[in-house]
Amino acid sequence: MARFIWYITKRILSYIVMIFVATSLTYFLACAFMSPRSNFESKTPRPPQDSIEASLDRTNLNDKTPVLERYQRWLGGILTQWDWGMSPDGDSVNSQIAGRISASVELMTLATVLSIAIGVSLGVYTAQRQYLWQDRFWSGLASVFMVIPTVVLAILVVFFAIEINQQTGARVFYVTGLSSYTGDNMFLAFIDFLQHILLPTIVLTIISAVGYHLSQRTYLLDEMHADYVRTARAKGLTKKQAIRKHALRASLIPTSVQVAFSIASIFTGAVMTEKIFAIHGLGEYFINCINNNNINGAVAVAAFSGACTLVGALMADLFAAALDPRIKMS
Amino acid sequence: MEEQNNTPQEEGRLTNAQLELQADSQGPTEVKRITYSRLIARRFFRQRSAVIGLVILIIMILIAIFGPFICAYDYTEPDFTALNVAPNARHWFGTDGGGFDLFACVVHGLGRSLVIGITYSLLTTVIAATVGTAIAYMRGWGEKVGMWLLDMLLVIPSFLLVAMIVRASSGTQGWIMLIIGLTAFGWIGYARTLRTMALSLRERDYVRAAKYMGVPSFKIIVRHLIPNLGSILIIDTVLGVISGINSETAYSFLGLGIKAPDTSLGYLLSQGSSAMLSAPWIVLIPSAVLIVLCVSMQLIGDGLRDAFDPYSRAAGSVGDQEDEKKDEQENADAEAQTIELH
Repeated sequence: MARFIWYITKRILSYIVMIFVATSLTYFLACAFMSPRSNFESKTPRPPQDSIEASLDRTNLNDKTPVLERYQRWLGGILTQWDWGMSPDGDSVNSQIAGRISASVELMTLATVLSIAIGVSLGVYTAQRQYLWQDRFWSGLASVFMVIPTVVLAILVVFFAIEINQQTGARVFYVTGLSSYTGDNMFLAFIDFLQHILLPTIVLTIISAVGYHLSQRTYLLDEMHADYVRTARAKGLTKKQAIRKHALRASLIPTSVQVAFSIASIFTGAVMTEKIFAIHGLGEYFINCINNNNINGAVAVAAFSGACTLVGALMADLFAAALDPRIKMS
Repeated sequence: MEEQNNTPQEEGRLTNAQLELQADSQGPTEVKRITYSRLIARRFFRQRSAVIGLVILIIMILIAIFGPFICAYDYTEPDFTALNVAPNARHWFGTDGGGFDLFACVVHGLGRSLVIGITYSLLTTVIAATVGTAIAYMRGWGEKVGMWLLDMLLVIPSFLLVAMIVRASSGTQGWIMLIIGLTAFGWIGYARTLRTMALSLRERDYVRAAKYMGVPSFKIIVRHLIPNLGSILIIDTVLGVISGINSETAYSFLGLGIKAPDTSLGYLLSQGSSAMLSAPWIVLIPSAVLIVLCVSMQLIGDGLRDAFDPYSRAAGSVGDQEDEKKDEQENADAEAQTIELH
């Protein structure tokens, strides 16, 4: 156990170093490629030079200050006050991000749970019926959805939703935002939320369930032909029992790694889906940061998603250790 | 293969060498010798879905090349007499709100998507294969440092970096920057996978033999390690085109990739998505083109995978079992002669 804790501690330490280096690198690159100055210079009427300089200095974004000096100030703010800086408009990045994470979590949680449940069960279902028509149908469908660009899928879903709305003459689906009901009735608010979340959830679920389905199918097929499953059959288990009790468990190990990363990505949101459905989550914020030359915001999102990725990697290790006896032993 | 090295009396259980001798004695009429690449090609064309995919892709490429010549309009010249018209005889795919002929735009965008997808895929495969195998081959410190670098590059969101690089470029040069940006960060995850595969290759005897004969490391990597991943690399190059096309669509849709005056399928989608109710064809036609393009690449990729897989049905039912096993062994040597009995 002590060795295990030491191992985890070592991993966490190396991850922290990694995030630090990666974030610093991103900061320098962002400073090189983004120009917050142009935000002010392109305003009409053009503000006086002094006021431009003053705003840039106040937000620590002035490209006339040496980049190392800015970096020092930025890093100092984070380390001492957990202050990730300001956007060019002078808003605090911390408060902007905080609200958006919750919107992303609202959007992603249901889709992630659904996609894991649907994807893994379809994978198990089709693997047991390899080369039968059920397998051909579902796996064929999955490989088509696998290659369709997210944008196209989302646009088509929106298109059909609008068609349905027009056919029924009522607003069955909302294609933008997460909520529009403002009253106090909890039930109506919930219905309203469902109407909003349904379409993006469909898109997100399809995209990630397809991945789970195809990989779970491959993993289970690999395990089904393993020697220990044959031994189990030879000892008298039915095919179903052998798969459920032996092959399935082993095939869930690589899937659990994917699940770990999915859980981490709940917090970072989905860039494309949020943009198309106008959900003000972290993914949309990220695009806005890039488009508005918001260096501090973009770097903060990058650092956050880097941290989430590494938490996912750590969880993947733990999941694998919990499921795989071979890892526990070594 | 050693196990099958038994008496020549047993018909059908001959070693490959014996089979070859036997084949030679029967004269050139009985046995047709084909190279490994021809064998793969034959297996590929045996699959109907793969052939369909290939035909669609070729048609797409031809449209992208010759489309501008058969279309009366240019994608840069708006027709102000026809704004937002539905598909008709004059404008085959209709026009958008600015009067741009959608057929010309789609043809140009298709060409852009193909060029970006194919270039991206080839470049990432070359870089990932070289770096991935090199890291696996180096062992020791080189491997540790290399892995750490790869891990770190994975932590940085490549989306941000690509978007920043592309956004800084101008409209007409955007697609070149997009290829560079996508490639610069697209090979990393792939290199990790290839490294894992190369780990078992580096233990092979022929690699060790080459090493002890004094062959320089780079030559070993290029001559021995990379060709042994050959089939995987080819399949992944084909499937990589899909991810290149998907990335292009995503970036352009977000306004971070290709932008006016240039046009691409993703850009058309972003233009059309705002007018989905009044002019659905602007969205639906590029969507359909993208779906057909990606699915055709997927069919080709699946076909190639089955063609390379010695145990798949694409091997045909006529082939001798020994030939199929032999293929697996000879993946390395594309020049090697294989025999297929008829």
